[in-house]
Amino acid sequence: MSSRVRAILGAQWRCTWHLLTRPGGRVLAGILWLFWYGLWASVGVAAGIYTALASRADLAVVLPAILMGTFLFWQLAPILTTDAGASLNVRKLQLYPIPDGELFVVELLLRLITALEMLLVLAGTLIGLVANPDVPGWLPAPALLLFVAFNLFLSAGLRSLLERLLAIRRVREIVVFAMVTCGALPQLLAATGRGGHLLRLLSFRQSVFVPWAAASRLALGSQTIPALPILCAATVAAYVFGRLQFRRSLRFDAAAARSTGSSGSAAWADRLYAWPAALFSDPLAALVEKELRTLARSPRFRVVFLMGFSFGAIIWWPLMHGGHSGPGGLSYPVVVSGYAMILLAEVAFWNQFGFDRSAAQLYFSTPAPFALALRAKNVAGMTFVGLEIALILLVCTVLRVPLSLASIAQAILVTLVFSLYFLSVGNVSSVYQPRPVNPEHSWGRSSAGRFQLYMLLLFPAIAAPVALAYLAAWFLESRAVFYGILALDALVGTACYHYATRAAVAAAEKRTEEFLAALSQDGGPFVVE
Amino acid sequence: MPEATPAIGVCNLRKVYGDRAAVDGLTLAVPRGCFFGFLGPNGAGKTTTIRMLMGLAPPTSGSIEILGLPMPERGLEIKARIGVVPDESVLFDRLTGGEFLEFAGRMYGLDRAVAAARALELLTLFELDMETRKLIVEYSKGMRKRLAMAAALIHRPELFLLDEPFEGVDAVGARMMKDLLLDQVRNGATVFLTSHVLEVVERLCDRVAIIDQGRLVMESSMAALREGSETLEDAFVRLIGADRVQGKLDWL
Repeated sequence: MSSRVRAILGAQWRCTWHLLTRPGGRVLAGILWLFWYGLWASVGVAAGIYTALASRADLAVVLPAILMGTFLFWQLAPILTTDAGASLNVRKLQLYPIPDGELFVVELLLRLITALEMLLVLAGTLIGLVANPDVPGWLPAPALLLFVAFNLFLSAGLRSLLERLLAIRRVREIVVFAMVTCGALPQLLAATGRGGHLLRLLSFRQSVFVPWAAASRLALGSQTIPALPILCAATVAAYVFGRLQFRRSLRFDAAAARSTGSSGSAAWADRLYAWPAALFSDPLAALVEKELRTLARSPRFRVVFLMGFSFGAIIWWPLMHGGHSGPGGLSYPVVVSGYAMILLAEVAFWNQFGFDRSAAQLYFSTPAPFALALRAKNVAGMTFVGLEIALILLVCTVLRVPLSLASIAQAILVTLVFSLYFLSVGNVSSVYQPRPVNPEHSWGRSSAGRFQLYMLLLFPAIAAPVALAYLAAWFLESRAVFYGILALDALVGTACYHYATRAAVAAAEKRTEEFLAALSQDGGPFVVE
Repeated sequence: MPEATPAIGVCNLRKVYGDRAAVDGLTLAVPRGCFFGFLGPNGAGKTTTIRMLMGLAPPTSGSIEILGLPMPERGLEIKARIGVVPDESVLFDRLTGGEFLEFAGRMYGLDRAVAAARALELLTLFELDMETRKLIVEYSKGMRKRLAMAAALIHRPELFLLDEPFEGVDAVGARMMKDLLLDQVRNGATVFLTSHVLEVVERLCDRVAIIDQGRLVMESSMAALREGSETLEDAFVRLIGADRVQGKLDWL
């Protein structure tokens, strides 16, 4: 490893260390880390026990499936979650005379860290295979090492390619949308009775010409001769692809790519932005208008907004048996709206000042009170929630989901009640856990890891009031009970919103300096967003 | 490499964003050992030009030669011999000043011990050694600029590309930085500097160029300018801002 690579890794380690040693940062980050990787370590142990005890015949069937699973997770999980973990901070590193090869080594290390879960599974599998008396002892290690190298090179190349595509205005939303829709297709095919196509596709996994099957056969010592050259060739091809795409990304001029296409708004969009002036007086109207424009122009927001009514509709279609109602009269539009709400919350509720970054100080230096800025962000967020529901109902009509006035009212009312609780938590978290987010990035998390842990614990509480209404309707088989409890939920939600917003405003005014400093922070040699 | 080649030579340089040319047919030669001021109004193309010289943005067309080497073809060799202070922050917020300087030194190929020793000396010189455990995120704007300048010096470059290096720096700090740069020029280094403060350029630079809407509108030695009746400010306003200074608003 060259001294420059060591220096980059050392600098990143110091950045991470300084971040973790902040007061209160270490324990929660540690818990989250232990929970997640503990889970995957258990999967690794299970894979190890199975591969150690299974017969060779069983392994011939199951091992390709395990390797295909790791391949899919490694390559597709970052795409489907629109979160590829850390990346090189090329903007800062390209000032220095660092050869491309050395940066590629760091990139590969990053891709390795991003896929730590899969390394745990593969390590367990490898130990199990080595311990299995039916498997030739020396073959699994080189087979799985080659397979890891293949995945690393391919993921580096795919990431670089996507990074460039996602930097091009207008193209990025289409690319992300196409990717996530592709991710939902197998489920849709299986649920719509076209599973035969899917099975035929999956049976391809047994062919020695696919890398996971080749790695499996090499590891088990069967058909070593075609498997080894095929796996080597796939690894070399992945290396060439990865290196080429990475090199192109280093030379890529993101500013020039972003400049293609107009950034201004169309006349119809201007009408949408102008509605606050008809309802509110300034400065609230101006603040809401600014929020609407800002959100609508943020690629990150556009991607999740688009996913809500499209990807959401696709992914929930088979789960709701073709748009039919669930227990307690839980309707398809309600489920899709709830899902869209969760997606939108990541960018419009949990971290409302993230896109404002250093401009947030304006909220404290103008005569408009901070409470007004927060309210404007809530109004803008709810405007898009309303739009999202309208689009979901439109999609339902296209999909011929039976829609009655009652089901439409239910979708709207449930989402409104749900949003009261979302806004309450969001207003508090936006002030206590602000985090700068680059709105130009189509993927990445907008809230801090620590907050994601809070959400894991808080989410059942946020969903409980609405879930209670459905449970009661299911047990008592009464719509009146459902709407009664929903009305009660709305009252409690309004009170929660009122007190949470007051607390958030008080906290923002008390911790203004910390709040602004948190929003203007930048990273280290790696970008973690 | 023959010393006769200019420190910076650009020919017909053009950078287009969408349908707008940020830099439009720029041709310029900066002699070695020169303190060169590159001026222009906001949005004139100064930062785009300097970013192309630093190798941070590829030109749409035209050629760049830095220290006799073509950019971007020999980018690595060029980057090893230049010191840069870009307009935006290129510091890592979660490092201390000392850690960042050591990192920068190692990036330029210095041995770790040498980089650490120089980092300490630079911290002292730039008066950033008071709180060694302070993270860069806690630095003021002026401190960040001083640190960026220190990082640009750590490998003793032959050419400095500085985009608004004194912005936000207090008078004492700015004076120290100016003296340091003048020393470097006396020792044979070349400085290419952009600044909005015309007095600074007038006092430091041997030659100046003015760019407007991506095009070069004037290039002259300061000596020739001083011989005429105009100050640098007069020339600047005449060339690009005559109509702007006359405008006024009734309500203001």
